[in-house]
Amino acid sequence: MSKKESNGKLRQIFSASRSEFLVRIPLFLCAFLAFFSVLLIFLFILKESIPAISCLGLRNLFFSTTWRPNVSNPRAGSYGMLAFLSGTLMTTFFAMIIGAPLGIGTAIFIDQVAPPKIREITRRGIELLAGIPSVIIGWFGLTLLVPFLAHITGSSGYGIAPASLVLAIMVLPTITTLGTEGLKAVPAELKEASVAMGATRWQTIYKIIIPAAKESLIVSTILGMGRAIGETMAVQMVIGNARQLAFSPLERTSTLTSRIVTDMGEATSVFRSALYAQALALLILAMCLILLVRFVTRSREVTT
Amino acid sequence: MMEKKIAIDSLNMNYGSFRAIEDVTLDILSRHITALIGPSGCGKSTLIRCLNRMNDLIDGVRVEGRVLLDGDNIYEPTYDAITLRRRVGMVFQRPNPFPKSIYENVAYGPKLTGMRGKDELDYIVEESLKKAALWDEVKTNLRESGLNLSGGQQQRLCIARVIAVQPEVILFDEPCSAIDPVATQLIEDLMAELKKNYTIVIVTHNMQQAARISDYTAFMLVERQGEPGRMIEYGDTNAMFTNPKDERTERYITGRFG
Amino acid sequence: MDERKSDRLATLVFWIFGALTILVLGFIVVQILVRGIATAFKPSFFLGKPEAIKAGGGVLPMIISTLYLVALTMVISLPLSVGAAVYLSEFAKDGLIVKFIRFSLDSLATLPSIVFGLFGMTLFCIYLRWGYCLIAGALTLSILNLPVFLRSTEEALKLVPITYREASMSLGASRWTTTRKVVIPSAMPGIITATILPIGRIMGESAAIIYTTGLFIRNIPLSPVDTAAPLAGYIWYAQSEAMVPDYKSVVDGGAALLLVMVLVVFLLARYLGKRFQNKSHAGK
Repeated sequence: MSKKESNGKLRQIFSASRSEFLVRIPLFLCAFLAFFSVLLIFLFILKESIPAISCLGLRNLFFSTTWRPNVSNPRAGSYGMLAFLSGTLMTTFFAMIIGAPLGIGTAIFIDQVAPPKIREITRRGIELLAGIPSVIIGWFGLTLLVPFLAHITGSSGYGIAPASLVLAIMVLPTITTLGTEGLKAVPAELKEASVAMGATRWQTIYKIIIPAAKESLIVSTILGMGRAIGETMAVQMVIGNARQLAFSPLERTSTLTSRIVTDMGEATSVFRSALYAQALALLILAMCLILLVRFVTRSREVTT
Repeated sequence: MMEKKIAIDSLNMNYGSFRAIEDVTLDILSRHITALIGPSGCGKSTLIRCLNRMNDLIDGVRVEGRVLLDGDNIYEPTYDAITLRRRVGMVFQRPNPFPKSIYENVAYGPKLTGMRGKDELDYIVEESLKKAALWDEVKTNLRESGLNLSGGQQQRLCIARVIAVQPEVILFDEPCSAIDPVATQLIEDLMAELKKNYTIVIVTHNMQQAARISDYTAFMLVERQGEPGRMIEYGDTNAMFTNPKDERTERYITGRFG
Repeated sequence: MDERKSDRLATLVFWIFGALTILVLGFIVVQILVRGIATAFKPSFFLGKPEAIKAGGGVLPMIISTLYLVALTMVISLPLSVGAAVYLSEFAKDGLIVKFIRFSLDSLATLPSIVFGLFGMTLFCIYLRWGYCLIAGALTLSILNLPVFLRSTEEALKLVPITYREASMSLGASRWTTTRKVVIPSAMPGIITATILPIGRIMGESAAIIYTTGLFIRNIPLSPVDTAAPLAGYIWYAQSEAMVPDYKSVVDGGAALLLVMVLVVFLLARYLGKRFQNKSHAGK
């Protein structure tokens, strides 16, 4: 095409509309790949989980806590994922209890409180924390948090508690980064008006800044939840990987993600399909979060 | 007879290594309107923001010299900026009501100091809106968002919000630059009324406005690019506009630069 | 006075939040480095082959796998995300299709990486019968990182002043010529800078690759269709399933090595980002 263009302006203009059409298609396909991938992921996961759904039924699969796979005769096993769904929800819940205030607090610290140098350091620190691989955080949890918890509680140290702590660390960058962006978007004039009336910094923060940034702070928390629900390796390393429903934070259990990783290597037939069904459950949970974000922001455009 | 409310004494202000204003000395008289005029970028807005320490919000700002409010230097380390800002209120260039109801906007200041009684708040809100000449227009919809008002009404809401804190001084930073002429007229009338009870300082780029409403005028100028803004002339408004002492002032008011 | 006390208290609390975050980060980084750095830079470790049952194995094939995987993923991702970003920011008109694409990008950004891993395994390794291999991992990671790359690219494109486009189009250039000759070249430094940071993420990703590239190898992978074992996945494998007696020091060393690699990428991204920022400021 570039040779053609050097042949003269007239020719260039002449070919413009045709070449425009010719590049539009591949460019469109690149963008369309996003949609196509989501569709493909959904279809594949759904297709692979159908054997489990049809063999076991939705009730036994999604609403039973009995997970007793049978490796030699997969069809004879029980594959209820409720215990792991509960593990996912419990670890996410506790992680958010620690991570959300810490993350939003750090975001407020960065945007409103810290002097410039400290602000820069904290922001870079958060960026770096986001980049630390989950196996490293998992290894840190396994070699430090688990023995520490075992020491102070007398339990095995594995379970919901270390998993939630590890997750709290991992949701922190998501919440802080998005939260800081939201706080930054609050018009400076509002802050000025409040300060000029003799409001203290804290009064300005909780009466003006937080209400004005409420939407983005909620969205950052929801996306943090998404991170916690989907995190796999770090959780798998510290949760104990037991096949039981946990009633206390110090009992060993599994999450949906950690169960998939633990069992995928040896699973066949219905057993394997049941693991895909867990991925399907994760997919549905993630979709619920996206819809929740859409609902919170409604008309506003948000791209993650 | 003439009571000094604020005395600015050899004030310099620096943003990092850049000096924005230099060696400004100026007395602001109680219950009068003092106008700061000058071309854009001359440091008049910077100067007015020194009077309630709004520049504290900006990183890297350093102030030298003194600003005395009723004889106390507000840049003394022990001086409390919060108290200062309650005594010296500010109305900004663009109307900036909070995204709250009209009522909550006006009640914001009193609530900051812990005022909770409904009757008390109702009274202050009504009085402040009346003083800001907005009451009649909004008394039936106090619960509506302040953002639904017109630009001029929003600016008067901001004035009411300041009045509610019961300040002694009100600073106006180009308050009419974002609103229409009719609304501007209303606000100018309002200032003439307010000066009976408050000391007023106004920054304006509009010389006619300064001439119409102020008692005293200060003219500031950056003579060469990169230099700090300096005070060129200060005096009685009528005298300055009819017979400026400094040639640079004359050139500015006759419209030959700026 | 009451509100001043609560202000001081709140300020203190926010400082504690900020300090806590940095302390947690610092603690993890220092812990991992202190425990593993000695092993990590022992030549027998970072230049050695892994052992299956004896002690004293190294991780060279894993390092190569990680670098190979990063390179392949970038080669696939960059053109795709530049193409998609160009389409979305220069060509597409806001409409239903764009909405669908945006929604899909949000979905991709939120889906757990293990779901991508399962998908990649099912499609590439099983249906297409490629088995565990680098290219399967790279394709999986390209889909996983599409939203990140696309967003960075779009932001870089947005920084190109609209006047450049107008100038070019007013000279009679078509939209595509304008994009190709003006917009993309001036956005390129921004695109490169913004896409360095996600490299750290590709290096650290484990859930999406353990069932697509493989977990354990002894020989250095040469072709994209070879089975590989990127470091992050191998660390997990070594701590959970390996039978070597010195697995603890292998994991310590591997973790420190991986962290150093991530840190290098992070600092490089910072350095390039700063340089790019200075340049674009000087240009204005």
